[in-house]
Amino acid sequence: MIQKRLHTPEGVRDIYNEECGQKLILQETLQRVLWQYGFSAIETPSFEFFDVFGQEIGTVPSKDLYKFFDREGNTLVLRPDITPSVARLAASYFSEDDMPKRLWYQGHVFINNSSYQGRLKETTQLGAELIGDDSIEADAELLVLAVRLLLAAGLTDFQLALGHVGFFRSLIQAADLDEDVTAEITALIENKNFFGVEEVLAPLSLPPALKELFGKLGGFYQNTDSLEKVKELAKDYPEVAKSIDRIAAVYEVLVLYGVEGHISIELSILSPYHYYTGIIFAGYTYGSGEAVVKGGRYDHLLSGFGKNAPSIGFAITIDQLMATLYRQKISLPGLQECRVIEYAPEELKDAIKQAEALRLQGESVLLQKR
Amino acid sequence: MRYLTFALGKGRLAKQTLALFEKIGITCHEMKEKDSRKLIFVNEDLKLKFFLSKGPDVPTYVEYGAADIGVAGRDTILEEGRNVYEVLDLGFGKCRMCVCGPIEAQEALNSRELIRVATKYPKIAKNYFYNKKHQTVELIKLNGSIELAPIVGLSEVIVDIVETGSTLRENGLCVLEEICPLSARMIVNQVSMKMEYERITKLIRDINQLSAETSL
Repeated sequence: MIQKRLHTPEGVRDIYNEECGQKLILQETLQRVLWQYGFSAIETPSFEFFDVFGQEIGTVPSKDLYKFFDREGNTLVLRPDITPSVARLAASYFSEDDMPKRLWYQGHVFINNSSYQGRLKETTQLGAELIGDDSIEADAELLVLAVRLLLAAGLTDFQLALGHVGFFRSLIQAADLDEDVTAEITALIENKNFFGVEEVLAPLSLPPALKELFGKLGGFYQNTDSLEKVKELAKDYPEVAKSIDRIAAVYEVLVLYGVEGHISIELSILSPYHYYTGIIFAGYTYGSGEAVVKGGRYDHLLSGFGKNAPSIGFAITIDQLMATLYRQKISLPGLQECRVIEYAPEELKDAIKQAEALRLQGESVLLQKR
Repeated sequence: MRYLTFALGKGRLAKQTLALFEKIGITCHEMKEKDSRKLIFVNEDLKLKFFLSKGPDVPTYVEYGAADIGVAGRDTILEEGRNVYEVLDLGFGKCRMCVCGPIEAQEALNSRELIRVATKYPKIAKNYFYNKKHQTVELIKLNGSIELAPIVGLSEVIVDIVETGSTLRENGLCVLEEICPLSARMIVNQVSMKMEYERITKLIRDINQLSAETSL
């Protein structure tokens, strides 16, 4: 029995020694950036009522949630994502006069992933949300913040893919495709199989401009010039054009901040989270198979909790960020060197005095009996 | 420049892939040396690395970024369910994933009886029966010679890859239902796709053009 209890269940882990110190320091570094941008900290509980993460909200599929019951039989869920909790919190405590509200949080999230994929089921997320602001500047501010956080962590080689959920959604609407074809095309686009999309659309009778717009999904732009062409094609589809305009406008503000080197415009990025309504983005770097930062605009999430407040936010998975830093061999700042004072039993009084004096000056001191 | 690493499934698939790559000017002479015991083969001019692995492991290497690009059968991609981009249908290695069995088993399939299904692909079989046909079945995972199962009475039907169907016929079995068509696919790591966008897209475009020309 004693032996069995030595290891942790699959998907959770202990963090100890140097790594734990480095994680705390990394978090501190990131938190400093968040304070600098005027965000204030909040905390939400680790578990909530099922409804907060239910299907209408559109986060993680229900089967991947850790669920249990309280004494009254209500279904509770260990949070898989913190954004819905923040939305609930904002809807219950802040009035419209308080808006816009800049909030950041850090906490553990729990997703019951399938086994043998080497993924953690419990991870630490750090995120920021700007609630009650639907401006272009708000979009840009959050993107800049994401770039600054990754830079502060020590990453230099990374790209934030910027897209808009409206582009693909309104294309599908304009093409008036049935459910099966939509599902097929969505799957192909999630797989970046753009030749496959062409094949599916080829036999359908769609206006040529619309077909060409579908073709533009594969694009990857490092400036807004090429977006002009896309906009030209979209002139008969106001909803599509609107999403292009938004991306272009946000990009212009990003140039003012000088972070455009880390941004690439990708019209094909989709998110499994249904609550996104506007621009979405994901940050990629070497050493991690998945995005280290994910975010986007969610204008209707708060209305699910009874308040109208267009918002945007993102989250960084700290464990993944740490892994990429290790794999890219970027040195993480360790803890302050600890001075050791050894003393013989009769020197105790002097040793304590000396150690405490040094500690008051901000030094780390370890007292050790010889 | 960073090396682009390719993971190829051992066997026929790897040979066909290398033949295809050769046609678009990507060669790896090291790989042709028969007696070589090397595990990784390098093309220094183009900064490419190649390695061979067991087919079902290709998506795993690509998901974790140990390889940027992989070539694997759609069957393994579906069964593994990894987070990778499936960017291109390479058009070779064509076959079908089917439900097979003796002709009498058709009735049990139609009447949605509780039947036993033997397969090497439990995930594909489960998805097909539960989510598409809405039929409850007992799945039995086997590791090879799947055709044996209905003959010796281990299961009523099997879910397996069918190429020509001759093995089935010789053993008195037939295709009862088709689940999906299969072929070799090129898969790409999600991060590599962003970080090495130019090189990878050029490769995809070249191969697609080549297969369009050959099919004309």
